[in-house]
Amino acid sequence: MKKEDTVKLISAEGFEFVIDKKAAMVSHTIRNMLTSPGGFAETQLGEVTFPEISTPILEKVCQYFYWSLQYARFLFSLFPIPINAFSLTTL
Amino acid sequence: MSAQKKRNFKIEAFKHRVEVDPKYAEKTWKILEHAIHEIYNHNASGLSFEELYRNAYNMVLHKYGEKLYSGLVTTMTWHLKEIAKSIEAAQGGLFLEELNRKWGDHNKALQMIRDILMYMDRTFVPSNHKTPVHELGLNLWRDNIIHSHKIQTRLLDTLLDLIHRERKGEVINRGLMRNITKMLMDLGSSVYQEDFERPFLEVSASFYSGESQQFIECCDCGDYLKKAERRLNEEMERVSHYLDAKSEAKITSVVEKEMIANHMQRLVHMENSGLVNMLVDDKYEDLSRMYNLFRRVPEGFSTIRDVMTSHLRETGKQLVIDPDRLRDPVDFVQRLLDMKDKHDKIINVAFNNDKTFQNALNSSFEYFINLNNRSPEFISLYVDDKLRKGLKGVTEEDVEVVLDKVMMLFRYLQEKDVFEKYYKQHLAKRLLSGKTVSDDAERSMIVKLKTECGYQFTSKLEGMFTDMRTSQDTMQGFYASQYSEMGDGPTLAVQVLTTGSWPTQPSTPCNLPAEILSVCEKFRAYYLGTHTGRRLTWQTNMGTADIKATFGKGQKHELNVSTYQMCVLMLFNSEDCLSYKEIEQATEIPASDLKRCLQSLACVKGKNVLRKEPMSKDIAEDDAFYFNDKFTSKFIKVKIGTVVAQKESEPEKHETRQRVEEDRKPQIEAAIVRIMKSRRVLDHNSIVTEVTTQLQSRFLPNPVVIKKRIESLIEREFLERDKADRKLYRYLA
Repeated sequence: MKKEDTVKLISAEGFEFVIDKKAAMVSHTIRNMLTSPGGFAETQLGEVTFPEISTPILEKVCQYFYWSLQYARFLFSLFPIPINAFSLTTL
Repeated sequence: MSAQKKRNFKIEAFKHRVEVDPKYAEKTWKILEHAIHEIYNHNASGLSFEELYRNAYNMVLHKYGEKLYSGLVTTMTWHLKEIAKSIEAAQGGLFLEELNRKWGDHNKALQMIRDILMYMDRTFVPSNHKTPVHELGLNLWRDNIIHSHKIQTRLLDTLLDLIHRERKGEVINRGLMRNITKMLMDLGSSVYQEDFERPFLEVSASFYSGESQQFIECCDCGDYLKKAERRLNEEMERVSHYLDAKSEAKITSVVEKEMIANHMQRLVHMENSGLVNMLVDDKYEDLSRMYNLFRRVPEGFSTIRDVMTSHLRETGKQLVIDPDRLRDPVDFVQRLLDMKDKHDKIINVAFNNDKTFQNALNSSFEYFINLNNRSPEFISLYVDDKLRKGLKGVTEEDVEVVLDKVMMLFRYLQEKDVFEKYYKQHLAKRLLSGKTVSDDAERSMIVKLKTECGYQFTSKLEGMFTDMRTSQDTMQGFYASQYSEMGDGPTLAVQVLTTGSWPTQPSTPCNLPAEILSVCEKFRAYYLGTHTGRRLTWQTNMGTADIKATFGKGQKHELNVSTYQMCVLMLFNSEDCLSYKEIEQATEIPASDLKRCLQSLACVKGKNVLRKEPMSKDIAEDDAFYFNDKFTSKFIKVKIGTVVAQKESEPEKHETRQRVEEDRKPQIEAAIVRIMKSRRVLDHNSIVTEVTTQLQSRFLPNPVVIKKRIESLIEREFLERDKADRKLYRYLA
C-alpha cells in the first residue's frame, strides 16, 4: 500500500494506528485536517496526534471507520455494530 | 424483605477536566491568533491542525466562543487593513493584479481558518446568530477592501477604463477581468450590481449614445447596421468572457436602445440608403440585418412594416394609375407580378418569412390593385395573352406557376365578378377562334377559380367547355349523316352555344352568302331534327372563315378572316367595285363592325386585299372599294384579323360596367332574402354588414345599392318596415 493512501493516527499514549486514508476520512474533522489548503503539519507528515484520546478509544474509533466505510450505506439493523462490555466502558 | 430501591441505569455526563487556569482562555486564544497570523503570512506548514482544532473546540466548549469569535473578527480586520494598504500602494496597471492576488490569498486563508474553527461554525455561530466564518470573511473583505474609499472608486474606474479600451480595439487581460468580476459576484449579487454593473451600464449607455450619433452622421444605413450588429455581438462576447451571465440582457438592451431604438426612424428613412432603397435594390443582407436588429426593440417590426407598406402602396399606386402602363395590359400585369415576386423573395430571404410582413404585403397589393377599376379586365387579358401564345412550348409546371401567380393577383381583387365577366368574354373568343394553346391549361385555370370562389363562379365557364365538346360531336354527326349530299360546297363548323353561359350580345345576323346559307339551313334542319324544342340563332359576329382567293398574277392565297369579312369579300366575286353603301346594304352588317372589318381589309399594309378610294386611314360613308389584284404576300396563308384581345374602349367599358351592375342586383337581393329568412327581423345597418360579408368573395356591394335593393324588395312585399321602429325590417314569408 502506498504511503499516500494511508494515515497514521497516534493516541495519547503514543500508540500508532496506520489506517487507510479513505477510512480516516469518514470523520469530517480528520478529512478537514488532511485536505485543508495551505499545508498543515498533518497534511505534510501524513500523521495526526490526538493527545486527548486514549488508545482503546482510538482503536475502537478506527474499527468504526472501517465498519462505516463498508456498511454505513446499508441498514443498521442488518449489520449491527458489534457492541460488547468493552465498548460500553469506552463510552 | 425490605424493598430494595431499584437503581436506574444512568449514563453520567462526560466530565472534562475542568480548566482552573484563569488565563486558559487568553493562552488558547494567543495560540489561535498566532496561527491566523501565520496563515496570512503563508507560514502554516508548521502548525498542527489537530492542536488548533482542539483549542478552538475547547474554547467554544468552555463558553469562550464569544471571545474566539470577536478575536477572529479583530484579527482578520487588522490583516485586511494591511492588505488594503498594500493594494492601495500598487501602481497603475499593477493595481488589479495586486487586488486579484490578495483576493486569492484571502480566500485560501479563509478556507483554512474556517476549517480549524469548524466546531465554532457548527455550534456557536448558529446558536448565537452570528455570521458563519466564510461569509464573515467575505463581508470583512467587502467592507475593508472593496468599500474602502481609496479602492472603491479606483477599482470601478480601472474596470470601466479597461472595458472602454477594449471597445476602442485594445487587447486587455480578460482573465484578470474575469477574476475581478467573479470576486464581485462572490461578494454577493448586490455588490456586483451596485459597485460594477449599474455604473457599467450607465457608462455604456453614454458611450453608445455618443458613438451612434457619430456613426449616424457619417455612415449610410447599411454600414450603420453592420456596426451596430458588431457592437451587439461584441457586448455579448464580453459578457460570456468576463461578466455575469445575467448582465447580458441588460447590456444588450442598453446597446439596442442607444444604437437602434433611438435612431430607428432616422435609419429607416435615411436618404439614399434607408429601407426603401434597400427594398428597391434587393439588398437582402442589409434587410436581413435590419430585421434581426429591429426585432430586438419594441416597435422595431412595426416600423419596418409601416415603411414597407407605405413604400409598396406608393409604388403600386404609381404603377396602377400611370396612364402609360394602362396602354399595355399584359405588361401592366407582368409588372405587378414582378413586383410581387420581388417582395416575396425579400420577405422570404431577409425577413424570415414573417407572417405579419406577408400580410402587410398582401394588404398593400389589395389596396392598390383595387385603386384601378380596370385591374380585373387587365388580369383577364393577361391570362388571355398567356393562354393564347405566351405559354406555347412551356412545360406544364411552368404553366401552373404562371396561373398560380395570376390567381394570387385575382385574390386581391375586390370586384371578382367583373373579372368573371371579362374572363368569360376572353375565354369565349379563345374557344371560338380555336386559339387556345392548351386545353389542360384552360381547365387548370378553371379549377383554380373554382377552388377560390366556388362552383357557382365557374359553372358558366365550364358550360362553355361542355358546349364546345358537344358541338364537336354534333358536327361529326352532321357530316356523317349528310356525307352523300355534300358536294364541293363550303365546310361548315358550327358551335352550338347555350344562351346564358356565353357572353353573347344580341345581334341581328348579317346576310350570309347564298353558298353558306344553304349549308346553314341544312345544319339547322339536322340539329332541330335531333334536338326538339330548341331555337337556333346565328351569331355571325363571332365566327371565322378560311377562304381561298386568286389574285392578279394567278397566285393563290388562303385568307383567314372573320365571318363579316368573309361576307364582304364574297361580294367581290361578282363585282370589282363596290361603294360603302352597297356593301352595307348587301350584308346588313352593323355600321361600326363593318367599318372595322373594312379597315382591316383595306388599310392594313401587307394584308390589303381590297383597295379603297380615296386612300386614307379611316372609312367614310362615301368610300369606294376595289378588289386589289396587285396584292402580294410571302405567305400562302394570310390571317386578316380584327385585332383581338384588345382592351376595351371607353364606351365598351362603360357598357360592361353597367352589365356588371345589373348582374349584381339579383345577387344582392338573393343575399338580403337569405339573411332575412333566417333572421326574420333585422335593422338596416346589420343587413348592410351581413350582405357585404356574404358577397365579399365576389365583389364589394355599395351600401347605396343595397338600400335600393331593400326598397325594391319592400315594394315587392318580401320585406316590410316595422311599424314601431322604422329602422327595422321584417321578413314576410
